[in-house]
Amino acid sequence: MLKTKTFVKKTRSGRVMKVVREHYLRDDIWCGSELCAECGQETSVLQRDAYRESSLCASPHYIIPDTNVVLRQIDILEDPVINNVIILQTVLQEVRHRSAPVYKRIKDVIHNASKHFYTFTNEHHRETFIEREQGESANDRNDRAIRMAAKWYSEHLKKVPNAEDLRIILLTDDKENREKAKACGLTAYKFEEYIKSLTANPELMDRLALDTNDVSEISSGKILFPEHLPLSRIQAGIKSGTFLQGVFHASRDNYLEATVFVQSDKEDTTEASIILIQGLQNLNRAMHQDTVAVELLPRHLWVSPSSVVLVDEGPKGDSDEDEEEQKITKCDGSQLTLKSTGKVVGIIKRNWRPFCGMLSQSEIKEATRHLFTPADRRIPRIRIETRQASALVGQRIVVAIDGWPKNSRYPNGHFVRNLGSAGDKETETEVLLLEHDVPHQPFSQAVFGFLPKMPWAITEEDMKNRIDLRNLCVCSVDPPGCTDIDDALHCQELENGNLEVGVHIADVSHFIQPGNALDQEAASRGTTVYLCEKRIDMVPELLSSNLCSLRCNVDRLAFSCIWEMNHNAEIISMRFTKSVINSKASLTYAEAQLRIDDANMNDDITKSLRGLNTLAKILKKRRVENGALTLSSPEVRFHMDSETHDPIDLQTKELKETNSMVEEFMLLANISVAQRIYQEFSECALLRKHPAPPPSNYDILIKAAKSKGCIIYTDSAKALADSLDAAHVGGFPYFNTLLRILATRCMMQAVYFCSGMDNDFHHYGLASPIYTHFTSPIRRYADIIVHRLLAVAIGANCTYPDLMDKHKQAALCNNLNYRHKMAQYAQRASVAFHTQLFFKSQGVLSEEAFVLFVRKNAIIVLIPKFGLEGTVFFENKDKPNPRLAFNEEVPSLTVEGHTFHMFDTVKVTVSLDASNIQHQKIRMALLEPVIPGVSVSPPEPEPEAKRVKLS
Amino acid sequence: MAAVQICEAEKVYIMHGVRDDLRVDGRGCEDYRHMEIETDVVSNTDGSARVKMGYTDILVGIKAEIGKPRPMVPDEGYLEFFVDCSANATPEFEGRGGEELGSEISSTLYKVFSNRNSLDMKALCIAPGEHCWVLYVDVLLLQCDGNLLDATSVAIKAALFSTRIPKVHISEDEEGTKELELSDDPYDCMRLEVEDVPCIVTLCKIGHRHVVDATLQEKACSMASLLISVTRKGTVTCIRKVGGGSLDPESIFEMTETGKRVGKALHAPLMKLLQEEEMLGKKKQKVGFLG
Repeated sequence: MLKTKTFVKKTRSGRVMKVVREHYLRDDIWCGSELCAECGQETSVLQRDAYRESSLCASPHYIIPDTNVVLRQIDILEDPVINNVIILQTVLQEVRHRSAPVYKRIKDVIHNASKHFYTFTNEHHRETFIEREQGESANDRNDRAIRMAAKWYSEHLKKVPNAEDLRIILLTDDKENREKAKACGLTAYKFEEYIKSLTANPELMDRLALDTNDVSEISSGKILFPEHLPLSRIQAGIKSGTFLQGVFHASRDNYLEATVFVQSDKEDTTEASIILIQGLQNLNRAMHQDTVAVELLPRHLWVSPSSVVLVDEGPKGDSDEDEEEQKITKCDGSQLTLKSTGKVVGIIKRNWRPFCGMLSQSEIKEATRHLFTPADRRIPRIRIETRQASALVGQRIVVAIDGWPKNSRYPNGHFVRNLGSAGDKETETEVLLLEHDVPHQPFSQAVFGFLPKMPWAITEEDMKNRIDLRNLCVCSVDPPGCTDIDDALHCQELENGNLEVGVHIADVSHFIQPGNALDQEAASRGTTVYLCEKRIDMVPELLSSNLCSLRCNVDRLAFSCIWEMNHNAEIISMRFTKSVINSKASLTYAEAQLRIDDANMNDDITKSLRGLNTLAKILKKRRVENGALTLSSPEVRFHMDSETHDPIDLQTKELKETNSMVEEFMLLANISVAQRIYQEFSECALLRKHPAPPPSNYDILIKAAKSKGCIIYTDSAKALADSLDAAHVGGFPYFNTLLRILATRCMMQAVYFCSGMDNDFHHYGLASPIYTHFTSPIRRYADIIVHRLLAVAIGANCTYPDLMDKHKQAALCNNLNYRHKMAQYAQRASVAFHTQLFFKSQGVLSEEAFVLFVRKNAIIVLIPKFGLEGTVFFENKDKPNPRLAFNEEVPSLTVEGHTFHMFDTVKVTVSLDASNIQHQKIRMALLEPVIPGVSVSPPEPEPEAKRVKLS
Repeated sequence: MAAVQICEAEKVYIMHGVRDDLRVDGRGCEDYRHMEIETDVVSNTDGSARVKMGYTDILVGIKAEIGKPRPMVPDEGYLEFFVDCSANATPEFEGRGGEELGSEISSTLYKVFSNRNSLDMKALCIAPGEHCWVLYVDVLLLQCDGNLLDATSVAIKAALFSTRIPKVHISEDEEGTKELELSDDPYDCMRLEVEDVPCIVTLCKIGHRHVVDATLQEKACSMASLLISVTRKGTVTCIRKVGGGSLDPESIFEMTETGKRVGKALHAPLMKLLQEEEMLGKKKQKVGFLG
């Protein structure tokens, strides 16, 4: 039977169009029940014995949820207890339309055979299809369609012999819908009501999402926030320019302050693109990463960002809050620092995801409503309802937000799952992976399906377009314990006296064919993430640690760059080829260094290493002369206890000559490949650039150096490199390193981009006009793409459409840049966590430190011994605040008569502050210089750090 | 124009019949043939109708689109007519053969509707001077068996009756830029007032008398014909002489009177029929093109 669906819509050009779609109805759609003999189904999804212990319905029953139930209660629907559910097509379509993540989750549930979820295509069933009636809204029509389907089911199943007691239960939170359903003889319950009736599974109740209409009882009833504007008004406002659209970034340090980044597509860039938002009212329930609409405040209300650190300490009286509000607003500085300030008028798109964090138990024992403190400090606390609060205290849990009504101080949410106890290494690792959006689930079967079959050997087929380099004396040099070796080197003297140098990179693209599940997974992961004692692989281990890893004494496929150089490291010729190599040795940096230094060793490998080392030194010198920067960041490495895997010692990374030797050749290979692929594919080469920072970024560096009598030139990378080299202060050997650390902070992020989408290719840090990543395909997806491009360029492989599509490449670059950034953050977080573990075992230490930055109420210091950075606060809640005077120009901070400048040497105590289990942190306190009332006494009695707070 | 060739004897036979008020198919001089009307036959249009009169078969579709009002009448919408002569109707229409007839009919239609009485053009205005509805009236001749214009006018009236224009309201922001907004309810639409839409009556002079709704054979006997468009109240909106022969003033007057009388009599049953059809609502059995 044919029906047509007709609707009118407005086209983008402002026309009104009438659209008519054909809609076919059928009478052969199965009901999906095991009991039914009439439908003639081959496979049935819904079980005969759909029994669940419910006080509302004693007999077996199937559940039909409506759209809102699926959207809001997906966490419960995913629970194994809930099975035999009929998901109507109407519901599925609406869910798909309203929330892509929920749609994906419900689809996953439907595909899970053990859940017995059946999709009934009621919209195409002759007896359940309904047309929208006059005066009926689209929602009412869908509700009616759901009731219609439920009615059809109950009547259909009544006809089945000996299934008289099988019931159909409609679950909807809409009161009107429930009443109408009851009027036509259906069983309908509120979702909450039904879940509460499941007496055998009380734990489900905690995961109930709160109904936004019911929450009025929780909050005081006082309207705390201004109403959000409806979307239509926001859109009109943005169009007319009264509102600005941007992404909301909450401040890490001050919960009453945030910035909104406005992407201006207008030509005039005079309009500030960063808008400051201060105060609860102005923040108006916006959360980190939401897309919001902002209205600028009149100029006289503009303020400057406060440099005060403020943490939301949980529930307290309103007066307190007002006080805090005043505190942030009163500290407006000079006219110069005023930033354009605005207020949030509406939210265009929420970026709510499940948040990791911990429960702060309510002080009232029997209370079921508790506050949840997310691990991410930029996310406000969330109020959740749970009966197992006492069991969840001290555990890391995941919570999802349901809504934030205007009369509630905190958003409302519900408990999703428990990750494990806080402070536990596995739990914390899980938390930081979740919080940094690092995909870390085990690889799926589909991915494994594309791995080569073991035992694997090189076949004739593989040798096509490949040269045999197994006779060359190739070796690899890597950090100790490295199993994913993606580069190896060789160097040998040619008959004409020149040197042949080869860089051999694992040929990962040979194993990963474009477009398959393995490729897609790798593209989505983007990079391997190295945590302190865990590696989250980008490709399955079989490839990363075995088939692709260029281990010694096995035949491996490689992609080789081979140069002929003279003894001055001048390139005479260069070629790229796919090859087979057999590495003669896998060395660590230290082993390689020993061989080079040991005059007694004269085997091929050692000679090869010496040749490489000599050339590398020349290459490096040349590069530095061109203005490449040598920057520095304090990196720490942990010595792990082999039994407990707890860190027992930590040391800053030490750089050997061999490190820079390998690095030098990798840079050379990367640059050569970049030139080659750009020459071949000017539109779609994947390159990496490092933009020059805006001059204002250097202000702090110049000021800091000046205070010690050094002048830093920042006109060009070369000038910067030279002036950094020249900056030395007698009797202060660490000064240069500190300057370099500061310079690192001034830099921009290096990013991948597609050559067809950009015209600035320059790599500032390396002072190279063009650069890409070629040398680590095992751990970076960008390299795989570059390998594919290069393979096409040299005719070793054929191309595919996505590779040549610059828009798809640009999209891929965006993902890679995002993943790299998140991986970096996750690594830092992992180091921070292990540092804490270390200090936990160390008690209170006192160490020498340098002042790195000066803030309004604190100094940030660096302890060179641990490469550890920390903040020393001068304001304390329990003690009266010392007199502080901050001078922004120098910058300097005077505390009770003592003035701190950048690079001052101080002595601090270091201990672990476990008062907040969630945010355990390294606490530093001033030891020297001694300032009465501010500095602490030497270790031993340290009551401050050990105080455990109850909240 | 589609025409048939008939022999002299047949002509005489027809003319003698007309003289005695008895036509070949048994009708009197002022009788129409049997008419079949169905509205809402093309779902993609905003209004449509199909009229069959003898073997004459005409389909009219109306599409409403948003356009700019004409500068002279900023507060009114307007109609556009397109007539397409399908080669199915007669082999003469093949290629560009039907173009001449098509433009002739459409220019007649423009004339018929270019007055204030036939349709309330102000109702088609959305924002004076900025937006208005333009109704594109597409006429498709499927088969020709004489009296195309009368059938076309009836079909247009029926199609206008069934036209549903989506309701549009204008939201205005502070800066005065106007935004058209569309209601999401498909039933929320505007109907046109078609009571006064005129019908065309074509009168053919045969011998000393004149007939309405001439068949192709009768047409072949006629030297000249007069086209009159008449509203429900008998107001004449357009008169046009068609054909090669001449008419003396006396008979023009007579023919006008007949035209007014016949036209007025045509409106009432047509409106009644259309309303009856609408009352059926969804129960209506669709005939469409397969019936």
